Amino acid sequence: MNVFHSNIQPFNHSNVIIWFWFVQIKCFKSFANLHLIKKKAIFDFGNHIIGCMLSVKNLTKEFKNLIVVDNLSFEVSEGKIFGLLGPNGAGKTTTIRTILNIIRPSSGNIFFDGKPITTEFFNIIGYLPEERGLYKKSRVIDVIKYFAVLKNIQAKKAISLADEWLNKLDLWDLKEKKIEELSKGNQQKVQFITSVLHEPKLLILDEPFAGFDPINQEKIKELILSFVDQGKIIILSTHQMDTAEKLCSDIMLIDRGKEVCSGSLKEIKKQFGLNVVSVGFSGNISEIKNHPNVIDMNLYGNRAEIKLKEEVQQSEFLRSISQQYSINSFNPIDPSLHKIFIDVIQRNADIR
Amino acid sequence: MRKIFEVAKWEFVEKVKTRAFIISIIITPAIIIGFSMGPTLLSDNESNTTQAIGILDSTGVYFKPLSSELEEYKLDDGQPNYVAVNLYNKHKLFNELKLAGDSLVLTDELEGYLFISEDQHSMKYQFRGRSIGNFKDLKRFERSFNKIRTEIKLSGKGLSSELIKYINDKVELHPIKLEESGKESSANFLVVFFTSFILIMLLMMMILYSGGMLIRSLIEEKSNRLIEILVSSCSSDELLTGKILGLSALGLFQIIIWVVLAIALTGSSLIPADAFKNVAPMLIYFVLGFIFYTSIFVGAGSIASTEQEAQQLTSYISLILLFPIILVFSAVQNSDSFMLQLLSYIPFTTPSIMILRLNLQEVSPQEILITTLILIISIYITITVAAKIFKIGILSYGKRPSVREIFQWLKEK
Repeated sequence: MNVFHSNIQPFNHSNVIIWFWFVQIKCFKSFANLHLIKKKAIFDFGNHIIGCMLSVKNLTKEFKNLIVVDNLSFEVSEGKIFGLLGPNGAGKTTTIRTILNIIRPSSGNIFFDGKPITTEFFNIIGYLPEERGLYKKSRVIDVIKYFAVLKNIQAKKAISLADEWLNKLDLWDLKEKKIEELSKGNQQKVQFITSVLHEPKLLILDEPFAGFDPINQEKIKELILSFVDQGKIIILSTHQMDTAEKLCSDIMLIDRGKEVCSGSLKEIKKQFGLNVVSVGFSGNISEIKNHPNVIDMNLYGNRAEIKLKEEVQQSEFLRSISQQYSINSFNPIDPSLHKIFIDVIQRNADIR
Repeated sequence: MRKIFEVAKWEFVEKVKTRAFIISIIITPAIIIGFSMGPTLLSDNESNTTQAIGILDSTGVYFKPLSSELEEYKLDDGQPNYVAVNLYNKHKLFNELKLAGDSLVLTDELEGYLFISEDQHSMKYQFRGRSIGNFKDLKRFERSFNKIRTEIKLSGKGLSSELIKYINDKVELHPIKLEESGKESSANFLVVFFTSFILIMLLMMMILYSGGMLIRSLIEEKSNRLIEILVSSCSSDELLTGKILGLSALGLFQIIIWVVLAIALTGSSLIPADAFKNVAPMLIYFVLGFIFYTSIFVGAGSIASTEQEAQQLTSYISLILLFPIILVFSAVQNSDSFMLQLLSYIPFTTPSIMILRLNLQEVSPQEILITTLILIISIYITITVAAKIFKIGILSYGKRPSVREIFQWLKEK
């Protein structure tokens, strides 16, 4: 909350309080169902509110009778990375656009800190779109400065911040160059700078790693994680399930505009994980295939991947086989998000 | 407000810096002036040297008086403008002489030759030359010949040469253009024509040039999704207003440079001083016309998502822009026509037609006021409509929306 206030520059403190009250009263009148959130805000008023958050409620967007986003609800609190995942055409971009306030939802609401988003929020949002590209004929420093002043940063401050960032990403020498003279990777870095220079409270990153080499991917990942420490709210939209798995604490998987599953990464893995164990052995264990609790088994030399029935306890299973066979190792296999993604989306397609 | 200013500043500064803009600022007027002034300058040049004109006179009557009559015309430096060469030779067949004359012209030994033949029924008088476009020369040849012919006819009827001279005394007509309160100036058809033509062409080229630039930059912003970053930083209305303002500033900047250039040129008498007496209202029409078309371009440009679509749109708009140029010629001949009056009140043609009329005639202040108001109101309407199209257009990719869809956008709040 304090960060948010400091970003709306022209108000002094007393004005902020009055304005804040005004918004609260307005919200109270028009959104009775948000009673609880507002109450919390009012009670915490004057102190730092812990966990300022973005909440999306029953978001629906229709284009010409085609429902692109269907009743999505989620919350992202500060210091967390929220993964918005889904196949192509799932409605991720539309969801992002409504949060950015570029398009208006057909129904549903988006609240930031309990207040419906308005154009005031332009200055605290940072956005990195999937398609990259900047003004090719313009100089690096000019482009960065332009996007910063559009976020209400003073020109002088924008330039000093730009210098800082260019240094951080090893682009200092290229400052005066035209964008088109830069390598693709460096252009991407410049674009990344433009989306974070104004220290947004809410950062929306659409495929942030696309087009970066592994070294730069690592660098960008570190930066994103440092934003988490600074308490930014981050929404990450990606196809790369391994990155999502490494970075996101909460995810939502959508398909055809509908939520397929959502929650913390742990819960989802538990929910959609299959009962698979990896067993290291010596001797012959091919007989296990006929064990009543085993669905399927793949043999890899001295290791086997065994798929168990859902209700079977892994420890129970280990006990039952360790008497007959010589087992060297026994590990539960954590399902990758990648696997879950494919399974869930495919299952979804089969149902249709 | 600040964001509008920042967008405008960006559009202005980034475009002023481009090499294309700097070149266009010099090239555009150079091309237009070159095209319109070129022919007159060239024909002036021709008559600065003495021309050899052949005369093939089968009657034998005309050569002598005609050649002395032609040699009366002097160049600026006192040298004779024409030297007459007799092509007649009584020992040769007339047809052969004609062929010989033609070949003299084709080998550029002669500028051309006058061919005179007469039988019982009719008289033939031809100018045979490579170039027959010089009206001034042709007029002189005709006038001189007819004068001699009259003289010969009259003396055939027994009139004394004194009397003939008396009859032949002609007075030339000088056109005088009347203006307010007894002021008068000699209007030169060519000057009026070319000034109007140049001004309208400038307006058209400028609108097309910057309109094209605008559409191209919009498509670039759309294709790399920069537009999404922009509209997540400021509202689409702010963006649109900023773009129009920035581009208009660019247009104004261009005009100012041209006006300064033109005033400098008037000193060197390339452009008549006449052209600038109505400069204030003309500038207003220039700027308003520019803003009007720019807002059309913004609205139209936001629909396009490929270069081809943009070109198509640009060519539609340029058709509307070209229309007044077609009218220039007839307008100069009849500046009071109803058509011209009517077109002054249609915003699409108001700027160019009013610039044209300001050049041709006295336009009443009321009329200037009314047309200006119409233009301002139209600008307001186009910007409002463009803003609505822009808001949705910039975010829709792929297929160009149908007219019906666009109407739906307009209805959306």
